[in-house]
Amino acid sequence: MQPTHTRLNAAAATDDVLLEVKEVKTHFFTDEGVVKAVEGVNLSLKRGQTLCVVGESGCGKSVTARSILRIVPPPGEIVSGEILFRQRDGRTVDLAQLNPKGREIREIRGGEISMIFQEPMSALSPVHTIGSQIMEAILLHLTVTKQEARKRAVSMLDLVGIPRPSETLDAYSFELSGGMRQRAMIAIALACEPQLLIADEPTTALDVTTQANILDLIADLQQESGMSVLFITHDLGVVAEIADEVVVMYLGRDVESGAVDAIFHDPKHPYTRALLQSIPRYDSRDNKRLYSIKGTVPHPFDRPTGCPFHPRCDDFIAGQCNLIDPQRALISRDHSARCLLYPTAAIHNPDEEPAT
Amino acid sequence: MTGATTPPPVDDRAEAAPETRIVVANQWQLIWWKFRKHRLAMFAGLVTLLLYAVALFAEFIAPYSAGTYSATHTFLPPQNIQLFQQTETGWRFYPHVYGHKVQVDPESFKRTYVVDEEIAYPVGLFVRGEEYELWGLFTLDLHLIGAAQYGDPVHLIGTDRLGRDVLSRTIYGTRVSMSVGLVGVGLSLGLGVILGGISGYYGGLIDNLIQRAIEILRSLPTIPLWMGLSAAIPLTWPPVRVYFAITVLLSLIGWTALAREVRGRFLSLKTEDFVIAARLDGVRELQIILRHMVPSMTSHIIASVTLAIPGMILAETALSFLGIGLRPPVVSWGVLLQEAQNVRSIATAPWLLFPGLAVVVSVLAMNFLGDGLRDAADPYQT
Amino acid sequence: MIWYIARRIIYLIPTLLIISVIAFAVIQLPPGDFLASLISKAEETVDQAQVDALRERYGLDEPIYVQYWKWISGIITRGDFGDSFEWNRPVSDLIWERLGLTMVISLFTLAFVWIVSIPIGIYSAVKKYTIGDYLVTIIGFIGLAIPNFLLALVLMYIAFRYFGQSVGGLFSPEYIEADWSLERVLDLLSHLWLPVIILGTAGTAALIRVMRANLLDELSKLYVDAARARGLSELKLLFKYPVRVALNPLVSAMAWIFPALVSGSAITSIVLNLQTTGPLLYRSLQAQDMYLAGSLILLVSVLTIIGTLVSDILLAWIDPRIQLQ
Repeated sequence: MQPTHTRLNAAAATDDVLLEVKEVKTHFFTDEGVVKAVEGVNLSLKRGQTLCVVGESGCGKSVTARSILRIVPPPGEIVSGEILFRQRDGRTVDLAQLNPKGREIREIRGGEISMIFQEPMSALSPVHTIGSQIMEAILLHLTVTKQEARKRAVSMLDLVGIPRPSETLDAYSFELSGGMRQRAMIAIALACEPQLLIADEPTTALDVTTQANILDLIADLQQESGMSVLFITHDLGVVAEIADEVVVMYLGRDVESGAVDAIFHDPKHPYTRALLQSIPRYDSRDNKRLYSIKGTVPHPFDRPTGCPFHPRCDDFIAGQCNLIDPQRALISRDHSARCLLYPTAAIHNPDEEPAT
Repeated sequence: MTGATTPPPVDDRAEAAPETRIVVANQWQLIWWKFRKHRLAMFAGLVTLLLYAVALFAEFIAPYSAGTYSATHTFLPPQNIQLFQQTETGWRFYPHVYGHKVQVDPESFKRTYVVDEEIAYPVGLFVRGEEYELWGLFTLDLHLIGAAQYGDPVHLIGTDRLGRDVLSRTIYGTRVSMSVGLVGVGLSLGLGVILGGISGYYGGLIDNLIQRAIEILRSLPTIPLWMGLSAAIPLTWPPVRVYFAITVLLSLIGWTALAREVRGRFLSLKTEDFVIAARLDGVRELQIILRHMVPSMTSHIIASVTLAIPGMILAETALSFLGIGLRPPVVSWGVLLQEAQNVRSIATAPWLLFPGLAVVVSVLAMNFLGDGLRDAADPYQT
Repeated sequence: MIWYIARRIIYLIPTLLIISVIAFAVIQLPPGDFLASLISKAEETVDQAQVDALRERYGLDEPIYVQYWKWISGIITRGDFGDSFEWNRPVSDLIWERLGLTMVISLFTLAFVWIVSIPIGIYSAVKKYTIGDYLVTIIGFIGLAIPNFLLALVLMYIAFRYFGQSVGGLFSPEYIEADWSLERVLDLLSHLWLPVIILGTAGTAALIRVMRANLLDELSKLYVDAARARGLSELKLLFKYPVRVALNPLVSAMAWIFPALVSGSAITSIVLNLQTTGPLLYRSLQAQDMYLAGSLILLVSVLTIIGTLVSDILLAWIDPRIQLQ
């Protein structure tokens, strides 16, 4: 069951890095023109940790997640970049190089990397039982009999906190509530004990109480299994609650990334700062208008030159920001921002070292 | 990366760039823009317009009148137009058709036509021919195409068993066949909009009753029913009354699809924010329906109407073909196809199927057109 | 499920009632008393006693609803559809075999339509906007635009002109009047392909379009991506999820395809000279043999309704969401 051909890459980082995405670009070749949904994104995720990807709608978060699993819908294609994934057997494979319909990626999907989606209603088949979908995943990746698969499916449903698991196994998705559906999705995703769970806004479609339950469930399961979680959200409250590391995305690229404390307490990129300022706070006394970022996300065909954020930036430097495309500036060992305010050369500045 | 492109002038405008131009297009403009992109539908729309133009100007376009017959030219095969003629000095542009000689088989006494290249009948555009009254207003004798010399036997698609020109009759048939579709759909639309609207707007018991009725009508085999009902039209009725009776019959069963469409639209619009807002503002019900709901479903209704017309044309053709729809002397494509009812007559004169081609072209064109319109009806959907 | 079926059957009752009224109306439509036309057609003088007996049997002197009641109760209780005046035999003698053949043709056509349209529809959706897809779409549109009878005429002409064959009919001459036997069944099957293709063209074209559109909708659904993210191979994925879901509307399409087939077979049968209900209905209408015509319309409609019922039950069986509604 091992992949026949694996691309070894010596550049794969240290042992505890599970996933490393380097300068990935995913473009959609539509009739109207090329939509550069992801335009050079970088992220790296360590074993057992939770990485949150945040940004407004349309910034390429979901496409990034789909690019990792190679399930970008046509006419989308990964045009460049590397997605290095450390497999269970210790080998590192560049997912971006695999045939999206081939066997290698199929063995990784569901087996090593699982994904849960925003709308649990539409992510479950309307005409198949929950059980048939869990057992499908189990039978695909584990060498077990049907009975064993069924048993495992029941214990998975039990694990994710679904009451009467053996009855729910034969239920259809339309017979479950939204929260139960998402639990069932998680059960399917975790059935084969993946190393990485990609969660694409899994709580957005749920009500607040259910949201909290699902987040707790994911955190608990992560503790038990030691898997890594790539969590995509636009909700900074969720980020504060669960993230170890954060990547802020804008117009298809990472504009700032770092540990969760650094991002929340010492944001560097003007976009991150703007995002944080636009959260309503309970403790604000003055009746100030809530801050909002000026302008809107530009149309995908109208990508600004230079720094993509410059038309909306408060710190816009004329003649600089609209011409020069900023590179990643290292602010501390694992805190970087793509902004001309910070010199690319500044590698180690002890004054800026955040208290981690 | 992007730095390679020429930098724009640095000034304040750069900041406001994405928000400068605001173009407002109304609903119909948006639909038209989207429809225009649909090449096939555009072409089909052109063909449809052309067909209705033929129906309007049948007398002018047809070389002969529908009833003109010639006992000496029965079952004449189609004549091909020859564009050039050879003379002593070379070729010259001289559109013409060859004449025919009649040969009688000595054994079976069967008459056959043999092309006689010695005889050439010139053919022209805008020629003078039979007199006719256009729309009962003008007396004219101009024909779009025909024999350049009045009286020459020029039959581009051949003649039928009475020596009538098949092309001319098909052109006249366009008028009846295409209008049966329009009138029938018009009647169905009336029924469909009223009943579908009531059903969708009021809901509840009325909706349930109307929906049941639609289901029952849809589950009936229409052609046997049509056959049964149209057989009851008295043979003594004048053609015009038969024509209306047939269209009424067709629309009595054909309104259900349109009613469903209207009901569906009403149901989905009823919960739209702009309708609820209008109701909360205290707008009267009728006003809401006419000002807010009807305009936003017109485009969909136009699309479904276009898609319903081919069904009517096919039904009329089928009934008339069987001899229980329109009857001679009315000329419709179905009536014309009656001449080709069995293999024997088709074997003698396959060109009698020409009206069938007209049916296929018109139905095809309106299907493509309706399809394009339906896609364009929702300009925001991609 | 049983409750669902029971409910559907109860819904049928008003439908059947309305159909019987329509059929009775067709019988009553021709002007004048049909006995009068019978008498005028008869060559010898008709026995007055016989006329009176008929008058009594059909309740001709009584109000219309009594006539209806006599007619419908005769059908339900005794299977008595009245007499055909043209054939001078009970209607029920004439119709059953023809009705059976109508059903055989319609069911074979239905099977043909499904077998052909599903794979082509899947191909067309999966290979969307390729040459193959465009070809299928265009052929489909043309198939929709050609009236059945025209297709029948053209195919007959081709067979006659180029193969010197006279196609048509459902049996070879020696089997037309023969009793049912294995040979007769085989003979029937060998004649079935032409009417099946002719009748099936329009339905196939329509279903290909339905299948293609449904599958395109389903292919972009999230549950497909979710299954792909589970590691399923593309082919298994396609058939297990989107195709399976896209089949549901196809089953419900049977509810209108089937009436259309029965309806279309009426004209095609006349052109191809098939021994089905179509030509018999046609002839009875021309001869104003109204009891025969009305009975045929009634029975063909009832059979169509039963076909619709079967498609509803089938749909409820394959789509678990239906029964809940």
